[in-house]
Amino acid sequence: MTVTPHLASDSAACCWIPLFALRCETARRPELASLPLALLAPDDTRRLWQVAPLARRAGVKPGMTVSQAIGLCPALKLCEPDPVHYDEQFARLVAALVTVSPVVEPVELGRVFVGTDGLEGLYGEPEKIVEAIQLRIGDCGLRIGNEKAESAIHNPKSAIRVGWGRGKFVSWVAATRAKPGAAVIVPVGGEAKFLASQRLAVLPLDPDTHRRLLQLGVKTLGALVALPEEAVVSQFGRAGRRLWRLAAGLVSEPVVGRVVPEPIVAALTFFTPVGDRDLLAHALDKLVDRALGDPRRSGWRVQVVRVHAELEHGASWLVAATLKDPSATRERIAAPLKTQLERSPPAGAVERLVVEFTAFAPGTAELQLFARDAGAAARAGRRRALQSAAREIALRIRRPMLYHVIEVQPWSRLPERRYALIDFEP
Amino acid sequence: MKTDRLRAINVPQRVEVELDANGWPVGTRDAGCEMRAVEEIGEIWRIDDEWWRVPIHRRYVEAIIEGGRRVVLFEDIITGEWFVQKP
Repeated sequence: MTVTPHLASDSAACCWIPLFALRCETARRPELASLPLALLAPDDTRRLWQVAPLARRAGVKPGMTVSQAIGLCPALKLCEPDPVHYDEQFARLVAALVTVSPVVEPVELGRVFVGTDGLEGLYGEPEKIVEAIQLRIGDCGLRIGNEKAESAIHNPKSAIRVGWGRGKFVSWVAATRAKPGAAVIVPVGGEAKFLASQRLAVLPLDPDTHRRLLQLGVKTLGALVALPEEAVVSQFGRAGRRLWRLAAGLVSEPVVGRVVPEPIVAALTFFTPVGDRDLLAHALDKLVDRALGDPRRSGWRVQVVRVHAELEHGASWLVAATLKDPSATRERIAAPLKTQLERSPPAGAVERLVVEFTAFAPGTAELQLFARDAGAAARAGRRRALQSAAREIALRIRRPMLYHVIEVQPWSRLPERRYALIDFEP
Repeated sequence: MKTDRLRAINVPQRVEVELDANGWPVGTRDAGCEMRAVEEIGEIWRIDDEWWRVPIHRRYVEAIIEGGRRVVLFEDIITGEWFVQKP
């Protein structure tokens, strides 16, 4: 496995950038920041994924269908997701954090834990460690609205929130309590006091358990801890014990770092955009084969594989699969990708398909992985070319004439309700 | 990336329609064009929808106009106005 016991840390800093994908979009198009904006879901473009606060105020919520949202907020601006871009931005964040500590554990887009054991010697108190983290994030070129390194610290306009404490749970809750651009530090030994006043929603609860606890009058972690542990266990079983212990600050899950993966990439650019799934599945097989044949993979089995596609009109598509049993055979690696290809296919024809092995499990020999290829740079070049073509068209015609067709109410009996146009800007 | 507000596609366009004694189109004229005779009436269907807010009642008529072009016309039963729209 890629996890190694020495890459673990009890003390943790949690870096959290809420609405990470949406912020990536507003950083690319600053004029969107003041508009009621929503991002379409990567796996279902009829539903919303992330919703900006202005749109939320109009009643728009993540998970809603586009037609519901437009009904509530006619001025809603919609953005098609670009998961590859978000992933690249998040990779920048993770790469920046690796320069502070070797123990970094990404959890989801916009949330990552940094193990801080042993950093006192380098930076000093936790406050200084957190400051170093903020500075490094601000300085990494992450495009989420932080122009300069200094802007990441004590800056209410910065999107980064940091929490520091013993274990991942405490640091995560601390990050959720931090103001934008600020940090909350929970001193060692002060976990129970800090957690006691926090609302129940910070616990990893299923909706039913949350509702039952509220019905019992338990609204804070302190109220939960005030109940006898065994009473909670008798009501909620083993999950109840874990919740009680988390709330009491007795659980300290360490941050577990990974050996930094150096991906192996295989890419294919189609002569003409391809929409046929069989052809894409076939291309997928070929690319997996090519990546497996890379001599750098020798001695390693693949654990995490990603496929991303550049689609016509500048959109993108991304799927990833973590293999329960790491493998070095094409069929086993390609199978979960093909399932996802069937379940949530790309929204348009594919211009370029890229297979990337991003994490590995040891096989029989030593790990020998090398650097990323120049795929990202090539992709950026293509995007720039598309942007320039779109600009030229806008200059010649002098008004926006490039649109995308999206489904609004494809089931409607009224033909004019089924589809709509929105501006296309690569 | 798509970022602007939605623009409806296939919005009905007003047309002038001449009717026979039974209320069926015998001629149609788009804006700025001359009246063209309806040569044949094809399928006819009705849509009643959105009764919970502003009710919509439409009578659709598929027509072949002189020259062989197929168009789909509908009458807004509430206002009596005629429109052309792709089905």
